[in-house]
Amino acid sequence: MTIEDVAARRGVALSTGGTRHARWRSVRPASVVKSAFIGMVALYFIVPMLAMARFAFQNVPMALLTPEKLFDGWSFSGLWTALSDPGIISATKTSVLLVAFAIALNLALLLPLAIITEVHNPRLRPVLSAVTLLPWVIPPIALVVGVAATFRAAVPWFLASDFSLVPFYALWAMPFTYRALDAGLQAINARTLYEAARTMGASLTTIIVRVIIPNIGAAIAAASALTAAMVLGEFAFASLLLKTTLPTEMVNYQRGDPRGGLALALIVMILTALALGLVVRSLRRRGLTVQTAGI
Amino acid sequence: MATVEMVGISKSFGSSVALEDFTVRIRSGELVCLLGPSGCGKTTALRILAGLEKADGGRVAVEGLDISGDPPERRRFGMVFQDYSLFPNMTARQNIEFGLKVQKKDAAVRRSIVDRMIDITRLQAHADKYPHQMSGGQRQRVALARAIATAPRVLLLDEPLSALDAQVRETLRDEIRRLQLEIGVTTVFVTHDQHEALAIADRVGVMSNGRLEQLAAPRELYERPANSFVASFIGTVNQLPARALQSDRWQVLNRTVVGNEAGTAGVEGVVAVRPEHIALDRSDTGPWTIESTSFLGPMTRLVVTQPGHQPLLVDLASVEAAAFPVGRRAQVRLRDDVGQVTVITLAPLASRKSS
Repeated sequence: MTIEDVAARRGVALSTGGTRHARWRSVRPASVVKSAFIGMVALYFIVPMLAMARFAFQNVPMALLTPEKLFDGWSFSGLWTALSDPGIISATKTSVLLVAFAIALNLALLLPLAIITEVHNPRLRPVLSAVTLLPWVIPPIALVVGVAATFRAAVPWFLASDFSLVPFYALWAMPFTYRALDAGLQAINARTLYEAARTMGASLTTIIVRVIIPNIGAAIAAASALTAAMVLGEFAFASLLLKTTLPTEMVNYQRGDPRGGLALALIVMILTALALGLVVRSLRRRGLTVQTAGI
Repeated sequence: MATVEMVGISKSFGSSVALEDFTVRIRSGELVCLLGPSGCGKTTALRILAGLEKADGGRVAVEGLDISGDPPERRRFGMVFQDYSLFPNMTARQNIEFGLKVQKKDAAVRRSIVDRMIDITRLQAHADKYPHQMSGGQRQRVALARAIATAPRVLLLDEPLSALDAQVRETLRDEIRRLQLEIGVTTVFVTHDQHEALAIADRVGVMSNGRLEQLAAPRELYERPANSFVASFIGTVNQLPARALQSDRWQVLNRTVVGNEAGTAGVEGVVAVRPEHIALDRSDTGPWTIESTSFLGPMTRLVVTQPGHQPLLVDLASVEAAAFPVGRRAQVRLRDDVGQVTVITLAPLASRKSS
């Protein structure tokens, strides 16, 4: 195969010495379709966000917006007002605590389960994989109404606390968490590591604590990041159980100050995306691909 | 150092039988290779020995003591896996130290043992590297050091060289043997590569379909295979027609030799003859014709044919082979130093073909 052939196969035009022949072959219909498709998807995501940003930060009604006024009236004042709102501040605190507790509960339940299944009963993996998907099959309304009816009768104080959301969130994040952990265990070949450690005389606890968990840090980080993103965006459970979390408070706030509310929503979205991006980057730095972490 | 016995071991996975009445007795300090095609049960045998699989029946004993019920962590064995299975979060040194920490050895003792392991496996330059910073050969040396650091009673190696490229494989193979002789540990080495097995083992156990076909020293295995499976699995053989004479004598080509089985006098059977056990004589009227030659360095392999016969493979020293170019006619004979042949079947070749 010549260099031109290789370049053409990869859809790359050679920058030096590229013959007309190679350039012609490098533009294939498939790559045009691919670019067009990616472009359309990008527009689908970006246009609404740009519109959102304009509404949130530019105090000029759409009807009066002319090309000359494109740069007039931009301001972050709506955002600052929203960020200093006591309701928003307290809801943010609640949500951050919910994130921490949901991650803790989720890992406490699923980490030992995923590890022991993988090393002891790999045949149960498909079962566990199906079971952890169940929360998504049950609609939140059914879950909440069912649980509320049971708990209100049995332990009425439970649903009074904001943290009654934690078990729901842990459950709701299970599909993400289990998949991330399972992918991590597969990637490090946890079963042979376990067998190797056993032949050296190590107990199950020693193996989990000293061998397996340190090696699936990436998967644990990914599972936690996904849980955090989910909790920060969850509306249905909180609203149905009449709790004030960041998402419900944002909706509430938006009724009085649409611009400030949208500005806040945009910032939360960007921060969440950045946090996920940071996790992915730190995994890459440690030589782990996103795939091996299950996201 | 310890003797190891596996007696009457059977194991099935669902409906497929992995081991059937498998028995092997390994002497103290010996290196035994379990050799066989994939799916013959050799890895299952090793895993049962390690305690990682539970046998359906039979018993495993070390130094005469039954350990069949012991979990792997109580057996004090060392094991090396095909995919290294080093702990990725630990350096080479920490990997080697792991088993010693589990045994709760003092820091000073651990240090001196780890240093010695690093020395004998020649890992000085890599001691503080993480597994992903090392080559396959280096990783497997760490795995080996880790397995012997705890002074195991028995060392188990599960295809330790299969993931390595040819050159590293050969070096590490010799290194494993050198180490094994140095520390004198009883060792079971599972492989599907006969060259590997023949090169380093004290004895080789050839397995097929969950059974041990023959357990013998490499030379004996090659020269006196116990049955047709071993004969055709180890090295290359020609299947030659032979006439049974009285008792265990057989007429093969120009000579009368001993077979491992007796046939009915006068009835034709088939025997296995190695390519290097056949000699060629130049003869312009000879019935055989040189059809092709492949130069293999010191040896040359010739394919010789005769109408109505199966083609024969003949290995000659390359200097000798120069006299037999393609197209030359020749006569074949059995070399004078061949004393015994393995009988493949007591029925004639022709009837086998038609059946």
